[in-house]
Amino acid sequence: MFRYYAPVVCVTSIILPEVITMPPEAQHTLDCKGLSCPMPMVKLAKAMKKIPGGETLAMEGTDPGTKSDIPEWCERKGLELLETTESGGVFTFYIRK
Amino acid sequence: MSEEEGIFDDIYELLFSKSWNMWAGAMLLSVLSICLFIIANPWGSSGGLLNWGQNGFDFLGLSFPESTKDGSPTNILDHRFGLLSLTMLLGAMASAMLAREFAVRIAPAGELVKGFTGGILMGVGAVIGMGCTIGGFYSAWPALSGGGIIFVLGLAGGVFAAVKYILWEMEAHPEWSSGKSYTYCAANDGESRQPLYGLLVLLVGLGLVWRYDGSIATEQKLLGFAVIGLLIGLILQRSRFCVVRALREPFLSGDSKPAQALMGGLLVGLAGFVVIKYYGVGSETAAVASNFWFPALLGGLIFGFGMTIAGGCTVGATWRAGEGHVKLWLALLGLIISLPLAAEYLKPPLLDILPAGMQQGLFLPDTFGYLGGIMVILLVIPLWYLFVRWNEKTGRFAAF
Repeated sequence: MFRYYAPVVCVTSIILPEVITMPPEAQHTLDCKGLSCPMPMVKLAKAMKKIPGGETLAMEGTDPGTKSDIPEWCERKGLELLETTESGGVFTFYIRK
Repeated sequence: MSEEEGIFDDIYELLFSKSWNMWAGAMLLSVLSICLFIIANPWGSSGGLLNWGQNGFDFLGLSFPESTKDGSPTNILDHRFGLLSLTMLLGAMASAMLAREFAVRIAPAGELVKGFTGGILMGVGAVIGMGCTIGGFYSAWPALSGGGIIFVLGLAGGVFAAVKYILWEMEAHPEWSSGKSYTYCAANDGESRQPLYGLLVLLVGLGLVWRYDGSIATEQKLLGFAVIGLLIGLILQRSRFCVVRALREPFLSGDSKPAQALMGGLLVGLAGFVVIKYYGVGSETAAVASNFWFPALLGGLIFGFGMTIAGGCTVGATWRAGEGHVKLWLALLGLIISLPLAAEYLKPPLLDILPAGMQQGLFLPDTFGYLGGIMVILLVIPLWYLFVRWNEKTGRFAAF
């Protein structure tokens, strides 16, 4: 039994790091680029209300304040912040309801 | 060499890799406000922007005989608060660049309109209420001003109305805050020269400080204001301290942390200001405007609405402008335009029609004694704390 599983485990451990660096799959997107406080949070709260439980929303924004605001808000609301990426001044938050 | 680099890296990480705790920011700002009071006057912000505006109009050939001495304004670099606002902007910009957080961020058109309109309203509110969120609140409460408490009641009313407006706009006209936006000069991942430019901006700020002759009393005061302005700008940007957030969040997300940080700062300021006033180090009437009670209430209401749709008060607009938000550049422009016009054409007729009993300066110790005056502030702050904590738990007034 273990003889059959051993190679599978090895292959998984090799490809796993690449899987982790891939951004999560998001069913919904929200563009908040250029907006400053409080608009990104107001738009995010409205958008999250509309999406079904279990689905993920990718929000793009450029306000540095969201870097700390969104993780705190997700924690308080029981939402799961899967990942945050940053590229060229644009932050992308992947939030699962 | 590598050890030295390590030390500098550690300090850089500590100061610029993450936002500072808002509590720490509020405490440091209060300490600096106490320092400003010892030097000359408690911290204020609308007076500086009024000076900028008067200089701007003067440059265009317009003079204001009612609201300036001899019709011509004091040069920005010779005006304590004009200078303070300038070095505050430079400090915030340097800080944002050092943290690689600077970018020219152009919001959709509807947002830019809200920024400018908010700025105009703030200017009108500050003139009528005789102060902004700093001079009329953050300095006024520690200064034991009764008008300061009324001003905040007005602010809260304005903030509540503006939050309702924002939520209505989100439902009825979401397109106003959507559409084309642009971001320029953002830091490239890990390869940005922004920290270098930040140091250059800081050098410009220090260059301004350098021009003051420390051997003359007037220049000594300007020197102090210039240095403290740079520090205030840096602290504001790193801690993202924001009076609008403190007053707005109970009605939006229900978060009470910004309000709690503000209360902490007010208590530190209270201790310092009371010592300065009671022991005669500074004037008892400092930060006690003749706005009790009608001008404070009406001015607070207009200012509160304006700052909420703009997304920053006079100080919040200044540090966010330094961070590159074009919406807040327009809010500053609105302030710079409306402050001198309102001071010249709106304030004199308004004061003429108001009965004297509705426009007095109320220094709480004059009515309740020093201990009583302190107790009034120490009663209001816990009541406010109880409200925001209860609201946070129950979500009674929170929108989401």
